[in-house]
Amino acid sequence: MAIIEVRNITKVYNKESLPVHALNGIDLDINEGEFTAIVGPSGSGKTTLLNIIGGLDTPSDGKVTINGVDMFSLKENKLIDFRLHHIGFVFQAYNLIPVLTAIENVSFILQMQGRPQKECFNRGLELLEAVGLKDKIHKRPSELSGGQQQRVAVARALASKPDYVLADEPTANLDSKSTSDLLDMMLSLNEKSNTTFIFSTHDQRVVERAKRVVTLVDGKIESDKYSK
Amino acid sequence: MSIWPIIRLSWKNIWRNKTRSAVVIIAVILGTWAGTFMAAFMNGMVQQQIETQLDNYIAHIQIHTKKYQEDELPKFYIHSADSLLKDLQSKPFVSSITARSVITGLASSSASTFGVTITGVYPETEKTVSELYTTIKEGNYFEGNARNQIVIGEKLATRLKLRLRSKIVLNFQDVNGTISAGAFRVAGIYKSTNTSYDESHVYVRIEDLNRLIGNPDAVHEVAMKINNIEQADTLAAQIGNLNPTLSVESWGDISTTLRYASANMDTYLYIIMVIILIALTFGIINTMLMAVLERQQEIGMLMAIGVNKARTFSMILSETFFLAIFGAPIGLFLAWIGIHILSSSGVDVSAFAAGLEEYGYSSVIYPILEADYYLNVGILIIITTLVAAIYPSYKALKLNPVEAIRKI
Repeated sequence: MAIIEVRNITKVYNKESLPVHALNGIDLDINEGEFTAIVGPSGSGKTTLLNIIGGLDTPSDGKVTINGVDMFSLKENKLIDFRLHHIGFVFQAYNLIPVLTAIENVSFILQMQGRPQKECFNRGLELLEAVGLKDKIHKRPSELSGGQQQRVAVARALASKPDYVLADEPTANLDSKSTSDLLDMMLSLNEKSNTTFIFSTHDQRVVERAKRVVTLVDGKIESDKYSK
Repeated sequence: MSIWPIIRLSWKNIWRNKTRSAVVIIAVILGTWAGTFMAAFMNGMVQQQIETQLDNYIAHIQIHTKKYQEDELPKFYIHSADSLLKDLQSKPFVSSITARSVITGLASSSASTFGVTITGVYPETEKTVSELYTTIKEGNYFEGNARNQIVIGEKLATRLKLRLRSKIVLNFQDVNGTISAGAFRVAGIYKSTNTSYDESHVYVRIEDLNRLIGNPDAVHEVAMKINNIEQADTLAAQIGNLNPTLSVESWGDISTTLRYASANMDTYLYIIMVIILIALTFGIINTMLMAVLERQQEIGMLMAIGVNKARTFSMILSETFFLAIFGAPIGLFLAWIGIHILSSSGVDVSAFAAGLEEYGYSSVIYPILEADYYLNVGILIIITTLVAAIYPSYKALKLNPVEAIRKI
């Protein structure tokens, strides 16, 4: 069953002056538990599509429905709240909060949801254990390697058990070993907890391990393939 | 939804750049301390001036004839002054009272001449109303029985080149309008906190002066102190109503400058504090703006993962508040200690006293501040914090998460 339904999405920047068509009528369904890579050359619209699916950017036209909710019919605060409860984000440059420890970073979203302190801590611990950082829970981001920081970022994205996790080029700043470890970890979480992952990438190592690869070219889906 | 995670995050954020936060906290400490202490200093200076003016020169209520008020001639003395004095002495609101004979004239020495106000006093009752006798620097305040003693100010003594026991001649009109003169010997030299006054006011015994002006019973001025100074206006009006030929004035009527200073002192004190706080506000805005601008990506990320605008605003507001709330109590406490110590020992500003004393201010200032001022400064600082947080918070709220993420 599709948890994300993207219908005829277009996105035009600089509408008034020099229009740039970032997306040209995208239709896409993402099913629960999928491990999807959105690939394509630079400027193909990968990040724009992720931003729209993540409710961070609005489409010029079209509709995005998440579990039956028309995302862009929500008012601003409701949309922010929707992101808090339903979407996990992993950013290219990790973007952890530097003044918080690993476990505080992971449990931050749960605290924002008003969950009890103990629950936040236990969930943070559980996730950091799952990403192999049990012994680093009290380390700040500056005390962790890039790969470790990105693992914390993945754990943070999963903290609230979101409907899906969006990752924008999550391995772009990682070396081969860290990339491989991160992919192993994400695939493991995908398989164990049926978490839906959608990430943009042009890293061939990531593409090879994705279960579904959606290729964008000039703002259109050129191909949509499932791995064997 | 809980706001505590945001407040905890704010707390950690202010220690992200310890030096910058320390600079703001120190600025708040210094601003609060300086503003509060300056207010106490000014308040003490003005309160002292008012007290000195009332205690040494004006008293609380003065009575003259209406004609004397219009034209200060010796002939416009108060008729039946004795009965007026006795009547007023019996009033429960009067704490002390004295009669004076006051005329203007010329004081001459072998060296020079200067225009002065000559006040004839009853030394014993005068001491209960005026504390000018406590400012005697040389000689004494009419202690001997010799006739024609005079007490003059130090400034006049310098001007006329007079010393103790020097001879001084006073020229003035008598009650008949005839020019009269009398020779006096300097018995005492006083130095009050108002050099202008010291230069232009001399004191003699009332019987010596009245003998020369031709009416032994002449009283031009009745000065009194009352038990409750707050009632000065009301009581002056009541006394005036009893005798329409008399002009009865409270200290505020006599010196509108003092009344104005007394009534508006609070406003001045708060103006000082507000000016300092405005300067502080810009310092805090600058710091918080830097903090927001260098964390654009992080704030954008927070908004992306679900931190709404109210929480983002709360985060910046809390950070601003923490910076101010650290410094303000320390600044207030330091000010309180300083004021507490110096309210006893005083601040010696004698290096500038010559200038101050021209305006009737003491050379030793005792800072004083009401307790509610500290509380109000605290409230003002909270308001300042809120105001200072608005623009940086606005900049944070204007951030577009997508733009922030693109910068990653």
